[in-house]
Formats: sequence, structure tokens, C-alpha cells
Amino acid sequence: MGERGTSHAVTVEVNGEKVSRIVAARQLLVHFLRDTLGLTGTHIGCDTGNCGACSVIVNGKLVKSCMILAPQVDGATIETVEGLADGDSLSPLQESFHEHHALQCGYCTPGMLMSATYLLRQNPDPTDEEIRRGIRGNICRCTGYVNIVKAIRAASREQASGGRPVPAAAGEEV
Amino acid sequence: MLLEQVEYVRPQSLDEALEILANDDGAAPLAGGQSLTNVLKNRVASVDVLVDISRLDDLAGIARTADGGLSIGACVTYDELDRSADVRQTHWLLGEVAAHIEDQQIRNKGTIGGNCCLSDPTNNLPPLLVALDAVMELRSRAGQRSVASADFFKGYFATALEPGELLVSVTVPPMPAGSGAGYTSLAVGADAKAMVRAAARVTLDGGTIADSRLVLARVAHVPVRDTDAEARLNGGDATEESVAAACAGVADGMQPIADVHGSSEYRRQMAKVMARRAVSQAVAAARGSRNGSKAGGN
Repeated sequence: MGERGTSHAVTVEVNGEKVSRIVAARQLLVHFLRDTLGLTGTHIGCDTGNCGACSVIVNGKLVKSCMILAPQVDGATIETVEGLADGDSLSPLQESFHEHHALQCGYCTPGMLMSATYLLRQNPDPTDEEIRRGIRGNICRCTGYVNIVKAIRAASREQASGGRPVPAAAGEEV
Repeated sequence: MLLEQVEYVRPQSLDEALEILANDDGAAPLAGGQSLTNVLKNRVASVDVLVDISRLDDLAGIARTADGGLSIGACVTYDELDRSADVRQTHWLLGEVAAHIEDQQIRNKGTIGGNCCLSDPTNNLPPLLVALDAVMELRSRAGQRSVASADFFKGYFATALEPGELLVSVTVPPMPAGSGAGYTSLAVGADAKAMVRAAARVTLDGGTIADSRLVLARVAHVPVRDTDAEARLNGGDATEESVAAACAGVADGMQPIADVHGSSEYRRQMAKVMARRAVSQAVAAARGSRNGSKAGGN
């Protein structure tokens, strides 16, 4: 029998670290990440599942963390934007965003990076159309899409030419 | 906190889920949550307990039926439909329509069951499932029953589901020999919500349309078959001219809905165009080798 209640014990692995907390059933995953765990890299843009700023990867799947309740992810492996860099060393995508000026105000960037990370894992050599469809769920209100697409394309090419690959999904064999 | 206080439970079996749904009027099944979560944030529905059915094995997976059709678990996501070799082989268009629902994040969570049970008139799958003669398999503590997809969608956010009943799977019969399917949407922007949609399936006998389904969406609050247009198509030539002539009268007997996206008359005119294109796609697909494919591939 599953336990029924307004609060639940949740254990998750976030960016490689196992954490357990008691959460309210009504708490959104994005609030769990930001408020409970202090991982404020994941942004809240709209609260309605439209903007994608809160995108994270749960069990290898890209999702919007404002569209999931915290108790739903019990047992899951979660990747947030904080997990992309290795210490001070940016991920190839993060470097590429920096080099191609793929951010202006930067608010959408964490979600864009997570969507792009997911895209390049699924499809290491996407066409421009596939890149645009890959970030379809992420809105940039500076409308800097051209440079974002450029940055993702460049990162995929660097990966193809033997540069550093996009890190594999947590728990995957590298 | 955006949501009102609510209870959550993750039953370990389908029977346990049905028990909770039967005993509590305020219980609501939670699958992908890509609509329900927003409903809860907006506090437009009163839910006492969310019954998380997303991890139940009985609602997962896609299986081939003995007759060559598909049995699709209610919690199968759009992304799983897109990537399923079985779906692509038997009903290519179903995978293709699923691949164009909103965005990757939603496709990774949203389910075929949720898409149908919400009965939002903008949802992508209902008109296609009606065109494919899909059957909805419903279960409650009292037992199981099958409802034709054409009878399942009852109205704006209303279905044939009785209290305590859960959609467990969708059965899609095999495409008849010599048949093909088509699907077109009038939308602003790629993969966006549509103002008018048409889904079609035709079965060819040589150069003649032997049988057809033509389903319109966003003309009414539920998918509607235009049986008058189907009657004009059936027995007619499978040519562009003949299809266009049969589709010229599409939606003429209907009073399409009017809203901020379009007037009733605009929707009627666009329904004719969408219908003609969907039927033409279906004819081309029937002539090609791929089941339920769009004309000319992607």
C-alpha cells in the first residue's frame, strides 16, 4: 500500500549527491530544488510550463520542474545546471554559449543548457531544424535564438571533431 | 506554494489505485501531470488526493495485438509513441503526430491517457484515434469495459469515464489492407495548438476510395466525424479533383465554434482545406508502402 498524506519522504540523487527530505505533497520540484536544496541555478520564469527556464533532467529525461510535484521524483536521479560544469571547468556547451554570446540577460540560460545537453545526448549531430525543435520548449525573451542555435551547433561540431563530448547522462557508462 | 493543500499517494498496484479512486470522490489520477499540475496551480479544480499512477506496470508499454494492431498503455508518453518501432511500423502517423506535440519536455512526461482523458479540444491525439477506430479500455473495481473512441469524448473536458473508472489502455486496430492515414492542423507556429484540425483514413480499392474516415477537431468541443463528406468520398475516385469536390462541402451542416482564435465561418472554410489536405495525404499514404504515413515523408 502506498503511503497517503500531505507530506512525503523523498530521496533523490541530485548532481551525484544523494539527499533525503520531507516534502509537502503540493511542493513543485522547482521549489524543492531552489528553496529546499538551495540550487537556485534552475530558474522560474512563468510557473505555468510555458517558458522552460526550469528545465532539468530527471532519470535521463528532460522535463520542466514546475510541472512536476516533488513527491513524484522520489528515487530519481536529477541533473540541474549546477551539475554541468566540472569544478571551474565549464561543459563544452557552456563554453560554446560563452564564446558565441548565446546569452544576453541570461535568465533562460539554465533551461537552454539543459535542453541542449539533452538534445546532444539524443542526437549528437543535429541539423539546425533539429536544434530549433530541441529548444522549442524554451523561451528567450531577449530573442537571442540565433546565437543560441549557433552555440549548440558549434558544440556538436566540436564534439564530432574529437573535442570534449557532452557528459553522458548520470548513471550511464561513459 | 501555488497549490492548495493536497494529499498524494503512489499505489503499488492497479487494484490499489482503483480502490482509492472508487472510495474517494476527491481522488484524481496523476499520470504525466502536464495539464493537471497547471489545473492545481490555478486552483480551478478541487482535488483531495492525487493518485500517482505513472509507475504502474499495468499502464505502461506498447504491445502488438494478435491481429497486428497496438495495445498502448495509458501512461505511455508522447516521446515513447514517437520512438516506438512498433508504432512506426503499424501506425506511422500516430508516432509522427506524437512527435509534434508541443515540446520535448512535455513529450517526455505527457501521456496518451492524459491527452484523451482531459478531453481538451485542442489536444492532438483524440481526432486521430477516432479516425483510426481506436478503442478505449476502461477499468474500475466493478470490471472492465471497452468504449469506441468515437463515443469516448463527450464534451469540453468531459469523457465517458464514470466516477472511479480509469483509462488503462488504448487499442488501435491494424490499418486495413490498402489504407492510409493523414493529419493536418492549422496553427500559428510549428507544433503549436491548432485552430482547426482534420484526421483522415482511407481504404483504396484500385483507383477508388472504398472506405473513409474524416474527423474534424476544434470545430466542436469534441472530435466529430463528417459522415456526409465520408459518404461523398466513398465510392469516388481517389484523385485530387474528386477529393477536393467531396471536401468542398465539409462542415456545411455544422455550426463550428467561434472564439478568439477564429470565427465560426472562418473555421468552416478552414475545415474544408484541412479536410482536403488530410484526405489527400491519406490517399498518398495508402498508395505508398508506409502505414498511416504522411505524403512525402516528413
